Amino acid sequence: MSEYPDIATIEAGDELPVMHKRAGEAELFLYSAASFNPHRIHYDKAYANYEGHQDIVVHGPLQGSWLTQFITDWAGPRARLLSVEWQNRASAFVDEELSFSGSVISVDKVNGSVELEIYERKQDGSVLMPAKATVKLGPS
Amino acid sequence: MSSSLIPPESLARVGEILAGPVTVRIDRRESQRYAYAVGDLNPIYFDDESAKEAGYRTLTTPPLFITHALVTPKPASTLRADGLYEDSTSVVLEVARMMFGGEEWDFLEPVCVGDEITGTTRLLDLDQKEGKKGPFVRLVRETTFTNQDEQVVARSRQIGIAR
Repeated sequence: MSEYPDIATIEAGDELPVMHKRAGEAELFLYSAASFNPHRIHYDKAYANYEGHQDIVVHGPLQGSWLTQFITDWAGPRARLLSVEWQNRASAFVDEELSFSGSVISVDKVNGSVELEIYERKQDGSVLMPAKATVKLGPS
Repeated sequence: MSSSLIPPESLARVGEILAGPVTVRIDRRESQRYAYAVGDLNPIYFDDESAKEAGYRTLTTPPLFITHALVTPKPASTLRADGLYEDSTSVVLEVARMMFGGEEWDFLEPVCVGDEITGTTRLLDLDQKEGKKGPFVRLVRETTFTNQDEQVVARSRQIGIAR
C-alpha cells in the first residue's frame, strides 16, 4: 500500500494536503544566490520601497519552485510532473505566511494522469498565484 | 484608443532568438544548492538510490532548476542601479515597468545530474491589451531545453506584463 495517490482510487474533488511557506531575509538571500539573481528588490528594503513595494519581494520563480514541491511531495517520487502553469497576481513579501492548497479537477484513468487546480494564498485568503498542473501518477 | 506601447522595431522581433543557444552540464552541487534554497529536500535530488528507485538514471533536479542552471555569469561592473544586469537582448517597450506575470511549463523528458542541457529563448509573442488600469503589453518568451541526445526535455513560456 503506497502512501501516495493511486490512479485506481483517486477522484475529482480529492484535496492535496496544505503546504505552508514563509521566507525570511536569509532564505530569500539564499535563493538569490542559488539562482544567481542580483535583483535588488529581493534583499534591499529601501530599494524595494523606492520601487513601490511595501517590503522585500519574494522571487516569482521561488514561488514557482514551491508550487512544484507542493505537487511532487503529494504525488510521490515515482510520479512525473507533465506540465504546470501559474499566474503571478500579486507580490509576496519577506516573512509573510503563505499557503498552497489544491484539488484534483479531473482524472484520466487511461493515461494514468490527473489535472490539479492549485492556489497560493496570503494569510488573509487573497490569491497570489492561481495554478494548474498535470501529473502522471506513479505505479501503485 | 491608446497609443502603441510597442515600437515597430520591437514588434518586428517576434520569433527572434533573444538568448542562446547556451549549453551547460547539470551540476550536482548547483542543483542541490537550489533545492536547499527552495526548501525542497526530496531524496530524488540528494540520494542516488532514491532517484534510481523512482525510475531516474541518477539524481534528478528540481523541475524549474534548468532555467537557473543556464544563467550566464556576468561581471558585477555590468550591474544596473536596480541590481539587474544590463541586457542588450531586452525588448524595447514604451513602458515604465516590467512585471513577472507567470510561467507555463511542459516537461517532456527527465533531466538528471550530468546531462548537457541547451537552452534557446525566443520572443514568442508581443501583444498590447486593454486592462482595467489602462493599456499593457503581454510579452511571452519561450525557452526550449534539449539534452545531449537532442531530445527536447522541457519548454517554458515566461509571461511578462509591462505597463
